[in-house]
Amino acid sequence: MFAYARPKGLSETFALLDAEPEARLLAGGTDLLVGVRKGNVISPLLIDLKRVAELASGISEVDGALRIGANTVLTEVINDRRVQETYPALVAAARVVGSIQIRNRATLVGNLCNASPAADTAPPLLVFGAILELAGPDGRRRVPFADFVTGPGRTLLESGELVTAVELPLPADPVGSAFQRMTRRRGVDLATVNLACAVTSGGVTRFAFGAVGPRAIVVADGTGMLADSKTDPVDVDALIRRMTAEATPISNVRASREYRQAMLLVLSRRALESARERLAEARRGG
Amino acid sequence: MAAETMAVTLVVNGRARALEVAVHRTLLDVLRDELGLTGSKECCAEGECGACTVLVDGDGINACLVLAVEADGSSVTTIEGLGVDGRLSRLQDAFLAAGGVQCGFCIPGMVMSAEALLARQARATPAEIREALSGNLCRCGGYNQICAAVAAACSGEGHEAEER
Amino acid sequence: MSAGGAEAGPDGRSEKIAGGRPRAEKLARDARGATIGTSAQRVGGFERVTGSQRFVADLRLDEVLHVKLVHLECARARIGHVDTTEAARVPGVRMVVTAAELPQPVARFGPGYRDRPLLATGETKYHGEPVAAVVADTVDAASEAVRLVHVEHEQLPAVLTIAAARDERSPLVREPGLRAADDPHRDTNTLTEWRFGWGDVPAAHADHVVEQRYTAASTTHFAIEPHGFLAAPDGAGIAVWSSIQHPYVLQRLIADTLELPLARVRVFAPDPGGGFGGKQHAKYEPLLAVLAMRIGRPLRLVLTLEETFQAVRSPTFEIGIRSGFMRDGTIAFQDIEIDGLLGAYADIGHRVISKSSYLACGPYRVPDARIHVRALLSHTPPATALRGFGSPQMAWAFESQMDEAARQLGFDRLEIRVRNLAHRGEEIVRGAGDTPADGDWAESVRRAADWIGWGDPLPDGHGRGIAVGIKSSATTGASYAIVRLLHDGSAIVLAGTSDMGQGARTVLAQIAGQELGVPIERVSVVMGDTSAAPYDMQTSASRSTVFMGTAVLNACREIRGKLRAMASDTYGVEEDRVVIADGTIHLPDREIDVAELMADALGPMHGEVIGTGSRRGDHVPEHPLGGHAAFYEFSCTASEVAVDRETGEVELLRHVTVSDVGKALNPAHVAMQDEGAAIMGLGQTLMEQLIFDETTGRIQNLGALDYRIPTTKDVPLEMASLVVENEDGPGPYGAKGTGESGLLSTAPAVASAVHDAAGVVIRDLPLTPERIWRALQERDG
Repeated sequence: MFAYARPKGLSETFALLDAEPEARLLAGGTDLLVGVRKGNVISPLLIDLKRVAELASGISEVDGALRIGANTVLTEVINDRRVQETYPALVAAARVVGSIQIRNRATLVGNLCNASPAADTAPPLLVFGAILELAGPDGRRRVPFADFVTGPGRTLLESGELVTAVELPLPADPVGSAFQRMTRRRGVDLATVNLACAVTSGGVTRFAFGAVGPRAIVVADGTGMLADSKTDPVDVDALIRRMTAEATPISNVRASREYRQAMLLVLSRRALESARERLAEARRGG
Repeated sequence: MAAETMAVTLVVNGRARALEVAVHRTLLDVLRDELGLTGSKECCAEGECGACTVLVDGDGINACLVLAVEADGSSVTTIEGLGVDGRLSRLQDAFLAAGGVQCGFCIPGMVMSAEALLARQARATPAEIREALSGNLCRCGGYNQICAAVAAACSGEGHEAEER
Repeated sequence: MSAGGAEAGPDGRSEKIAGGRPRAEKLARDARGATIGTSAQRVGGFERVTGSQRFVADLRLDEVLHVKLVHLECARARIGHVDTTEAARVPGVRMVVTAAELPQPVARFGPGYRDRPLLATGETKYHGEPVAAVVADTVDAASEAVRLVHVEHEQLPAVLTIAAARDERSPLVREPGLRAADDPHRDTNTLTEWRFGWGDVPAAHADHVVEQRYTAASTTHFAIEPHGFLAAPDGAGIAVWSSIQHPYVLQRLIADTLELPLARVRVFAPDPGGGFGGKQHAKYEPLLAVLAMRIGRPLRLVLTLEETFQAVRSPTFEIGIRSGFMRDGTIAFQDIEIDGLLGAYADIGHRVISKSSYLACGPYRVPDARIHVRALLSHTPPATALRGFGSPQMAWAFESQMDEAARQLGFDRLEIRVRNLAHRGEEIVRGAGDTPADGDWAESVRRAADWIGWGDPLPDGHGRGIAVGIKSSATTGASYAIVRLLHDGSAIVLAGTSDMGQGARTVLAQIAGQELGVPIERVSVVMGDTSAAPYDMQTSASRSTVFMGTAVLNACREIRGKLRAMASDTYGVEEDRVVIADGTIHLPDREIDVAELMADALGPMHGEVIGTGSRRGDHVPEHPLGGHAAFYEFSCTASEVAVDRETGEVELLRHVTVSDVGKALNPAHVAMQDEGAAIMGLGQTLMEQLIFDETTGRIQNLGALDYRIPTTKDVPLEMASLVVENEDGPGPYGAKGTGESGLLSTAPAVASAVHDAAGVVIRDLPLTPERIWRALQERDG
């Protein structure tokens, strides 16, 4: 069994972590407590972060970015007008993480720190170039989310360090984005493949693919070919294939490697079309 | 500050309860065992089935994935907290009238998820109802009747079930 | 597509709630109690919507101790030394028991074969078989102790598939010493085999032969209530609580295990939170009872969902069918090979295989048939009854085969079925004097075809399918009921049926209410207590309306007879001039109600009038199934789907089931059961399968995260559950039983629709998107 602590501030949190390096951080608990119950997570101390002042929930505009506090639950992210308008792919992804009951507790930051290769929120954050704010006993730093996850269940957090917020850069010009995923049923499910696509006004297309490797990966096409709806579909396909080549899906109880690879292409095409449409709509002022 | 047991205060169905709980016990454990509120059920114990859905500060959550100590200071509503003086709430009435109840094991969780939905919005579309209940599994398979019940409760109908 | 102003919602689906109550039945509030055929509100519904219904895990016993089971992480292992010392030292632990500490030889039990030991002895035989039991003051202490029980073991090769079970070189699942000396299969993994059939298949002529092979994966029940059990010494006897469907079978088992008279064994059976067959037969009750007597305290064991998956599943099936057809589309012969894979212990799984195989030819006219069936053992959790009792898997095969024939012969798929469907009174199993076709089955098919719009044009990518299914109901049975008419005219029904959501309480209250003229609000139903309610053999095979319903009906008739005699005595009127109807005693000169009669007859000392009734279907030893089917459950499913050819995903657009029920005593309950069965059938068709690791035999998708069942978002856009009511059943008011029919023909109807939409044939269940995608890939090169 574990002990439980409920710090009110970051310095108290750091002190607890320093005293007990095996402690685990508890935010929403929807991953951690499952792990504890199954015996996969064995820890002497759970540190409840929900009352830590510096981690307060809330979404605000700060220095040209939308800042999402660490304790912000997914329901809040989904319902935020600014997130809906500027980052629809993130809303679409967040909406399929678990059920409403899960989303009322699970935090976006927690979802990222859990670092599941199939995390639905990872691909959108990658294509939007999200940045994470980290804080530790030695100070603060900012890292691109693209560097944050280092493997299944692993991040580059140092001992005693935690994430205080996610920042999404606010784009100067419209961006069209879309999220797609494949599941085994239409209801709540883990993804066998998930991906996000973002097309910028400048013609750059980014794809991020999840559940097809140890961590989600992001690739970009700067040629403008994918962003151009008049590009020959054969060339679009060829380009998408090259971009998905970095994915390394595996076969498991949810799906086989071949199916995942095939779905990557099918869903990438669909996401691209959707992203392009949204961009066109945004540029029309719709 | 780390502790093995903790004193917590929960307002459960409108009543303040002061308890000393072991920190590893879930809210579901405490509701069922310490407070005798066995209406909330245990099934999957991993947040996939919704049988343990209760409201914490108005939001539907899986009580099996919340430690009782995390809920310290919160207001908790369980199935036992609906209805007044032995009378069914409009929503509970609608569930019965629409024929959405078979074995009944999933029903407390279903009703609480529906309760959370109706607290958020007085009216809900069929798609919104399905979405709101998509985290509650029913194996007897009464989804259509359950959704019809919630729809009927939305439109203010009590004893009459709507033909759809 | 769907009627009436449907618009797309945010998830792209129609803004229409499918189904709801098919007929807007108002609540029956007839003061004269006439509720048959009306959708009387569920007895026990109030408790369920308020959370006050007590399921077995909600019960609290004083001084109870908690039990947790120890199992290994592989299917088959030789058990070496079991070190329980560390576990026993956990504070609060009272006892840690292995097979060695039980009376020797370790008792074995099972409904068909006494093969399952109380705890694994010598070798574990499946992933989840308990090796030890911990008894402790708290669940936490027991769980901690479980982790500290060290079982030395050597993993052994496991038999996990039909092919492995049939292979002579495979290890034996069951020790030959446990098999009868004259058992021809004792050195194999075949538990038993059957040969059914009639006519002469080898000599039969056919214009065209169709031969295919079909498989159906093993699925699990996933009732939302996991199994739970309590056992407490009770004076010189014992009380056992269980989420059991067959309390009296359990009572007998406990009595035998503890060598107690039945009268000293009390089984409480709280309404289960869903059963579906998985709660028919004992799992850990005998162990718990033995331990409770040993320790002298009440014990409680509630399984986790994972442990429940490790306890109950359906058999895996592989069915090869060679069918002869004539040019005119009629069936000439059926030659069928069926392999059913049981678990390590038979439970009732062998019966699932035999009973369903007996009707492997389906509800059709078949001149010559040969059915060879094998029940095979494997190192997997025991396969048991699961709603449909093997008949859905049979329909999967014979209906897919009908589609194949239709394709090859150029027939419309509806037409070929109608052409071959047996008519009322015709034999579907020939030459055995068996129950003939007992309904107008073609009517069910016509109504399904009408509803789905068979023959209407469809958009590209859409397809339709239609299929039938059939199941024998109970072939034997024994149900007894007592009805007590109290002196204020209210009534109590005592019946041993289990109400697990199908609404048995309500139907029995309706029957009593109807027969005695008592409003349903004044009828109480006592179930779930073997000391209170008289014997009922079991709740299964959709039998209770027919068997227990008849028993209740007869008990009420006896009461009416007694009331007539009472009136005759009291008022000096000839008995045959007393008429009892609608709760009123009609005397020659006036009418009085029952309470008045009782007051006049019994005086201020009061009393009551008791009636008993029963219905039995006795064992017929010469019959391969031990008895004739009391009736058949027959249903037709029609389905319309759209298939996304790039991903293999199936969108369920429209779905109808039509069941031949005789008389729907409570139409809403029938519709809910049918719809629930259809949704369960859709789960089995599209997404459910237990996945066993090929080497260790571990179940890989244990639990709700990876074993997917339908949610609110997986339901067809439009659904209907229709009934054919010709009052041609053997039950009260012409009722047959129902509750399983909705899933008998789901899989072949959907697969047929998938083929119609996408042009690929799938012969293996489940029809996952990936499977459909693969078939499309193979076809398109």
